[in-house]
Amino acid sequence: MSLYARLAWRNTFRNKRRTYITGIAIAIGLAALIYIDALYLGMANNMIAAATASFSGEGQIHGRDFLLTQDVNKVVSGADRIMADLENEPAIKAFTPRTLSQGMVTSTNNVNPVLLVGVRPESERALSQMDDVIAEGDYFAGSDPQNIVIGRKLADLLEVGLGDRVVVTVSQAGSGQLSQDLFRVSGIYRFASDDLDDGMAFVRIEKAQALLGLGLGVNEIALSFKDSRVSQDETDPFWAKYGTGGNEAQGWPKLFPALKSVYQMTTAASLILGVLLFAVVSLGIINTLFMSIYERMFELGVLRAVGTRPGGIRKLVILEAGSLALLSIVLGVALGLALSLIYSHTGLDYQGVEFAGVTIKELIYPVMTLKQYVFYPAGVLLFTLLVGCYPAAYAARMSVTGAMKRTL
Amino acid sequence: MTTPHRHLIETDGLTKTYADNGVKVPALKGIDLTFHAGEFTAIVGPSGSGKTTLLNLISGLDKPTAGKVFLDGKSVSDMSGAELSDFRRDHIGFIFQAYNLIPVLKVEENIEYIMLLQGIAREERHRRVHDILRDVDMEDYAHRYPSKLSGGQQQRVAIARAMVSHPLMILADEPTANLDSKTGADLLDMMRHLNEEHTMTFIFSTHDRMIVDKARRVIVVRDGLVASDETRN
Repeated sequence: MSLYARLAWRNTFRNKRRTYITGIAIAIGLAALIYIDALYLGMANNMIAAATASFSGEGQIHGRDFLLTQDVNKVVSGADRIMADLENEPAIKAFTPRTLSQGMVTSTNNVNPVLLVGVRPESERALSQMDDVIAEGDYFAGSDPQNIVIGRKLADLLEVGLGDRVVVTVSQAGSGQLSQDLFRVSGIYRFASDDLDDGMAFVRIEKAQALLGLGLGVNEIALSFKDSRVSQDETDPFWAKYGTGGNEAQGWPKLFPALKSVYQMTTAASLILGVLLFAVVSLGIINTLFMSIYERMFELGVLRAVGTRPGGIRKLVILEAGSLALLSIVLGVALGLALSLIYSHTGLDYQGVEFAGVTIKELIYPVMTLKQYVFYPAGVLLFTLLVGCYPAAYAARMSVTGAMKRTL
Repeated sequence: MTTPHRHLIETDGLTKTYADNGVKVPALKGIDLTFHAGEFTAIVGPSGSGKTTLLNLISGLDKPTAGKVFLDGKSVSDMSGAELSDFRRDHIGFIFQAYNLIPVLKVEENIEYIMLLQGIAREERHRRVHDILRDVDMEDYAHRYPSKLSGGQQQRVAIARAMVSHPLMILADEPTANLDSKTGADLLDMMRHLNEEHTMTFIFSTHDRMIVDKARRVIVVRDGLVASDETRN
């Protein structure tokens, strides 16, 4: 260990109480930053999962302007070829085709507008959670093409139950003529989301295509990825590859701008917290170092008198700040890690809370990342060294005779 | 260590004026002195006479308002801050009244400190530390911290630190002031011995009668001027 490092480390422990109080204050701030960042990330992931995993998927491919117009005529161009390509796409975990059209569901007692979704149950199971939330009946267990699956609220509105018949009316593609068919309620699901529970009805895709006169056309191909970062990265080549030929390929940040804002907000919140922490750190460090300097005026004067250059004094004080930072970082990382580990096992219960239009359905588990344990501690260290420059410059500027008060 | 009788330090019209709340207070009023290598000199005078200011200027701890200090013919007064640091490190040893050891460094580390600044090799540093601790009879205390030493022992270590880098002179400010008379006398005998054995130049600022009695040259400073300058055989 170099001379100044040795001196600095030992000086740090000369006033143990002051060092520990300052160190613990910084450590608590760092631990809070690490833990809250992990919590925000967990919350954002939870909300994204709630929004994407339940039905939408992490990304979607549509015919151009379909999302804007909801025009059933705007089908995915070359859907068969695209789905064949997706089978061999290494980034893709699952995909499923859908038809989407506005329609009316009529029972003997009531009528309600719905988004009629034509699904392929086999691939839909791998992508959405619809089959997991069936409250009554089943999710297209048999092969009856007249089966329809609806939400609990819609069933209540229509006053229907399992086995009851409903009529679905849609406007056909191309001609715009009305088309009707009779379906039997085979499954009732319950999501904790009004939009899904009372505004949608699901039939087999082949039946929907026939009803809509779409042939083999589909309006949407929903996607999920092996690495969810692909869905967030708008610059990933995947989106350009599938967003051609009259189609649009978009990840969840474009499909759900509100969710993207939440994600950005968590980053901003961490940043603000970080700035506050660093402000507290800076005041604590400056105060501690100045107290230490004032207590050691004569000693610093002696160091200067025997030949230590001003730069040496500067280095010494900055290293003392670094020593304090290292101590705080060890404590802070340990505390932050402990908190994150505990809650990553137990989880935090915010189930049922709706935020930015998304209902949190599961426990929130803090997500630990390398950034929290490398970037934040390194930031505290660098910031502390930077802040230490001020008292260091003060100590280096002191006149030797002034520092020693009573000198030669 | 140095060639005896060689001109070591010369002051030329050395003047220092302090400003106290806007009032100019003259501390030194144009002092011309010459110190020779190997001298054992006591600067005495009443409090506020200017003796401390004189040593501050000689050692480069402070800068004169007017006049110059020459060490081996080189002007100390014209040096920059970093040059002055290096000058003190390489040419001057300091012994202060008290509290002048670094409390977080062990005895051997305190002595080694200046040599570390000088970039002296580890083996040479250790050899010198060992030798100087033997000279000041503190060999058994090398690994102790200053707080575990008596006042006299601390001053012995301070003398060792001042001498270990082989400076041209040692400036001592009331080195016996905080010691009992026997410890002070022992310490003074040791410094006198080192002066004779190593031809080390000692300049004291003191009120201590013992130091004045042992000094071969006594300079009396009064009201910022040299009142008398007596050399004894």
